[in-house]
Amino acid sequence: MTSAHQQPATRNRPTWTWTWSAMVASICFTGVVATAETARTDNLALEFDAASAAGAKPAMLRLKTSAARQQVLATAQGSDGFVRDLTRSVTWESSPANIVKISRSGLITPIADGEATVSARTAEGATASLKVRVEDSKAEQPINFGNQVVPIFTKLGCNAGGCHGKSGGQNGFRLSLLGFEPPEDYEHLVKESRGRRLFPAAPDQSLLLLKATGILPHGGGKRLETDSRDYQLIRRWIAQGMPYGKPEDPTVDRIEVHPVERTLRRDAQQQLVVKAIYTDGTVEDVTAGAQYDSNDKDIAQVDAAGQVKVVSRAGDAAVMVRYQSKVSVFRATIPLGIEVTKLPPSRTFVDDLVFKKLKTIGIPPSEMCDDATFLRRVSIDIAGRLPTPEETRRFLADTHPLKRDYAIDSLLESSDYADYFANKWSALLRNKRGAETQARGNFAFHGWIRDSFMENKPYNQFVSEILTASGDSTQNPPVAWYRQVRDTTSQLEDSAQLFMATRMKCAQCHHHPFERWSQQDYFSLGAFFAQVSRKGGQEPGDEFIYHKRGVAAAVNKKTNQKVKPAPLGGKPLDIASDDDPRQALADWLGAKNNPFLSKALVNRYWKHFFNRGLVEPEDDVRDTNPASNPELFNALSQHFIESGFDLKQLIRDICRSSTYQLSAVPNEHNGDDRQFFSRYYPKRLSAEVLLDAINTATESQTTFNGTQEGTRAVQLPDNSYNANSYFLTVFGRPEGTSACECERSQDASLAQSLHLLNSKDIQAKLSADGGRASKLAQDAAKPDGAKLEDLYYVVYSRAPKAEEITTATQHLGKRALGAKDDKEKTARRREAYEDILWALMSSKEFLFNH
Amino acid sequence: MLNLFGKPKRFCDGITRRSFLKIGALGMGGAALPEILRAEAASGVRASHKSIIMIYLPGGPPHQDTFDLKLDAPSEIRGEFKTIPTSIPGFHICEHLPRLAKIMDKVAVIRSMSDARDDHSDFMCLTGRTRTNEPPGGWPSFGSLIARVQGPVDAAIPPFMGLEPRMQHKPYNAAGPGFLGVSHRSFRPEGDCKSDMALNGLTLERLSDRRALLQSFDTMRRDADASGLMNGLDSFNEQAFGMMTSSRLLKALDFQREDRRTIERYGKGDARTHGDAAPMLNEQFLVARRLVEAGARAVTVAYGFWDYHGNNFGNARNDLPLLDQGLSALIEDLHARGLDKDVSVVVWGEFGRTPVINKDAGRDHWPRVSCALLAGGGMKTGQVIGATDRWGGEPTERPVRFGEVFATLYQNLGLDISKVTVPDLTGRPQYLVPDGCLPMKELV
Repeated sequence: MTSAHQQPATRNRPTWTWTWSAMVASICFTGVVATAETARTDNLALEFDAASAAGAKPAMLRLKTSAARQQVLATAQGSDGFVRDLTRSVTWESSPANIVKISRSGLITPIADGEATVSARTAEGATASLKVRVEDSKAEQPINFGNQVVPIFTKLGCNAGGCHGKSGGQNGFRLSLLGFEPPEDYEHLVKESRGRRLFPAAPDQSLLLLKATGILPHGGGKRLETDSRDYQLIRRWIAQGMPYGKPEDPTVDRIEVHPVERTLRRDAQQQLVVKAIYTDGTVEDVTAGAQYDSNDKDIAQVDAAGQVKVVSRAGDAAVMVRYQSKVSVFRATIPLGIEVTKLPPSRTFVDDLVFKKLKTIGIPPSEMCDDATFLRRVSIDIAGRLPTPEETRRFLADTHPLKRDYAIDSLLESSDYADYFANKWSALLRNKRGAETQARGNFAFHGWIRDSFMENKPYNQFVSEILTASGDSTQNPPVAWYRQVRDTTSQLEDSAQLFMATRMKCAQCHHHPFERWSQQDYFSLGAFFAQVSRKGGQEPGDEFIYHKRGVAAAVNKKTNQKVKPAPLGGKPLDIASDDDPRQALADWLGAKNNPFLSKALVNRYWKHFFNRGLVEPEDDVRDTNPASNPELFNALSQHFIESGFDLKQLIRDICRSSTYQLSAVPNEHNGDDRQFFSRYYPKRLSAEVLLDAINTATESQTTFNGTQEGTRAVQLPDNSYNANSYFLTVFGRPEGTSACECERSQDASLAQSLHLLNSKDIQAKLSADGGRASKLAQDAAKPDGAKLEDLYYVVYSRAPKAEEITTATQHLGKRALGAKDDKEKTARRREAYEDILWALMSSKEFLFNH
Repeated sequence: MLNLFGKPKRFCDGITRRSFLKIGALGMGGAALPEILRAEAASGVRASHKSIIMIYLPGGPPHQDTFDLKLDAPSEIRGEFKTIPTSIPGFHICEHLPRLAKIMDKVAVIRSMSDARDDHSDFMCLTGRTRTNEPPGGWPSFGSLIARVQGPVDAAIPPFMGLEPRMQHKPYNAAGPGFLGVSHRSFRPEGDCKSDMALNGLTLERLSDRRALLQSFDTMRRDADASGLMNGLDSFNEQAFGMMTSSRLLKALDFQREDRRTIERYGKGDARTHGDAAPMLNEQFLVARRLVEAGARAVTVAYGFWDYHGNNFGNARNDLPLLDQGLSALIEDLHARGLDKDVSVVVWGEFGRTPVINKDAGRDHWPRVSCALLAGGGMKTGQVIGATDRWGGEPTERPVRFGEVFATLYQNLGLDISKVTVPDLTGRPQYLVPDGCLPMKELV
């Protein structure tokens, strides 16, 4: 902010004094203060923003005019190293008592002009104080509707999407969603309904107040107390004749939250202070008017007054603070606090940054996983398949120190890698078969995606070729994207969500509540697609996509003004009518300094391998949704850009790290961790991978109509095969209806369990003639032990343990018992192998990548 | 402090004051829902959980031959049926619904459902929405939404049960979990899941062998997964085994465990599949009641085939008495068991039928008006809402949207429709009902 010393104070700009009294050091605490049982606290201090907390400023807190108020925090340094917020547990006092009022929660409001000392005292006697000067306490400033009245509607929820904020309003009374359009609100309140909502001659009789206080029946119930400050403010505004405010009145330029971040104990609470800085430099405390939202409610929760409470789990949480259209974030770090002494070798920059975070947060990582686990894990994650028994055996026997790196390289070079990632991207790029006539385009698009991964096409080029695609699907397969993503709206929303990890949908109709994007940004981005046109292709079901000559522009629905194409956060572009504006978009997006493309991709890929994004959800990257490891996020993105958007290199960077190669088995400390990658987080195999794995395990095949013999589920080009495969449907293979990975369902369900454990389909695979169980039973040459070992390599990609062999052998013996002849014996042994195979396939070790 | 449930009378009465205060402390809106559920689970809400039974009448029953007869209309409209008085003075219904007539004080009839589409589909009845401007993935069925927002009451009973078979006319099965994804699909013991529920060529002995083997092989530690998915999988496996042998769900599905007189009271129905839709299995009404008692939050039943393009009156003479018996039994049973405050019942089809009788003595599609029947859920019953013109062709009073009925049902479950949202695949928060649909004042 600009220097407070040079700006005239208008509202309660904090020129302030800071004093603290160190308490008597010999006081011994016995668990009296709030929840601080063991640690001593000292250096109690009062603070209300960054400067006062740093102890850097002189003077005193000034409250000017009757409307001024200030939330103050009582903060102490604990002997355990934690800064502790004691705001709600200290005893507040003001002397003399008739200058300011201080609430139990530390809110100072003026009573009369003069100076006072506000002091706080802990139960143990530690004190701190703050000088406050009140000026013009009787002065009533004219109220500005947008700055003061509208935020009350937002705080009370009047203008929420479920109430008066929805597009049609509620029972005829409409407010702009979350108060983003004060002029409209003014219009509706003051001028609509023949002015009956407000009554300046007798403000208390205004319909607005009678309804909000529940005096007259109100569908939304009682929202406001008549003796509340908010009521009084609205009342005063009505009494003043409902001024809108002057055009030159300042508006909120930004908000700041204090503290910005803090490391908290697992039993801590932290009051926040939020100030709004206006365009003229004045500052207002808006703690009570702001809205708060925690991004991880299992870690920290926040109430309407801005008090953050730690739930008890270690981790990071971000509290988003909103006031008017401005947002800010408080970050809480709740360390586990275990000393991290033993770390696996740091193999890449990924490890440096992950381990750095683990040390800070105090979570010791798990051990490295063993070779067999690693090979299975990386084969599934890169190639979407189980390793073959031969691969596993060879890998286990290999003694080369870099064998894991080599395994990664060889998987990346295999066509399985291209198959698997084409499968992933085909759904995201909505390669959906709408009609049988579209099959040609579906196959072509899928093939193009697959080839792109095969040849390791730079990612920015891959994106560019999709966004700028023209022609028909035989000439240029990625035009198929435009076949499903048909209108400008979905083109801009899909490309923002998919390639920029930015969700723009909200901004179509109103300012995005969590974001900086406005409707102007929305329509400017949409303008890049304004000239996309289509006509019939050569074959039925085909379409020809082309740039229709003309200067690209869109109409901002809000202002009804034409807008030029402009990239997010960039300046409007002048694009000649012969130039395809999509090229300009792709060039901007694919540039090395583009802030969106690489972040969106590395986060998406990180999640692919770790089952959790650095930002969650993976396609919602924004300032108010910070990464769990921002340094790592930046470094990954930077490496990816510097590599020339090399996807295989990114995968290498990830998979070669010790972090990726950590065991999934938790140690005594990191079982709850699901943010910092202190171990591998297991994930259920996707529908396609699981079906292929079952086919491999049982030596059977699933035939998909209209595909080549031997086509595996991960090789299917589009969604059309789901309809005839209950397995793929029930295990959540996506239909390609959205650009969101979340369309792929990885959840468990009863229907899945039943199908896996008891369906005719699976039973037929187990008991097929020529299937694995029948072959094992008929092979008389090999001893059971060796056969079971083979089976374990096939299904679990590891050697069996002795007790597992014993269990299985016993079952074989038990089933064969009492067989009349060899024929029956073989039949029964075959059943026994089916049972064993079934049990292996139904276990979590098989169903999960771990 | 925020009241998550609106007015106090709307409290889900299972939530204790203490857990409520805890919820209040968490702050704003829908965000705190998982905590509500945890609080609910923690306070042991079981017996009194709220639920919905929806009986969908595929094909669209004739409103003017059931609850809205037009005896003064010309003969080409009037129809063959006479009316009988009901337990609500002045309200008469079709002579073929005598048992319902006796308990009309326990029923609310809406005569003016107004926003149906001319589309043979369960979509509107199960989602309250039309298919125009659907979000990616599609609108979810009401039961999927409830399953997502409220979760299971009991781990052994899926929160959303669909008793309908897979119907031959595909759009009768149109409503699904939509953007909520396949894990929120209804569990269908008569549909997709049917063949997986009975033992497929295995003896019980072999199944128990397999299960023992699985237990000894399945050594992977569940605590490796903090997301709870492994736990979930294990518990679904438990349920699945239970289903193949015996389990709470299987028991709930087995209506034969009821008292013989109760079964008889519900009636036999007709097990044949009617038209290209569903059979008329009256025991499913009983099963639905057993399921909600066991912990289901939403149960759907598809009943019969009401697309009477020909022989309207002959068909209705056959079908109405079956519905009359089953439905009146269900409503009386809910009252007798003290479930009438907890279980909401809704009965409807996708549209009404033409006022004018066609050349085949049938009535054709008429989306401009249709009827719905509501019971239980603590609603104000014993009333008729809305009216149609003298030909039964247009609503003349209180046109009601499907979404308004859903708003009412959600409120009966304790869900605040002005606050609860569910994110769709684009991350946009979606409310439970379409814009402008509020709980019906007449009913709550």
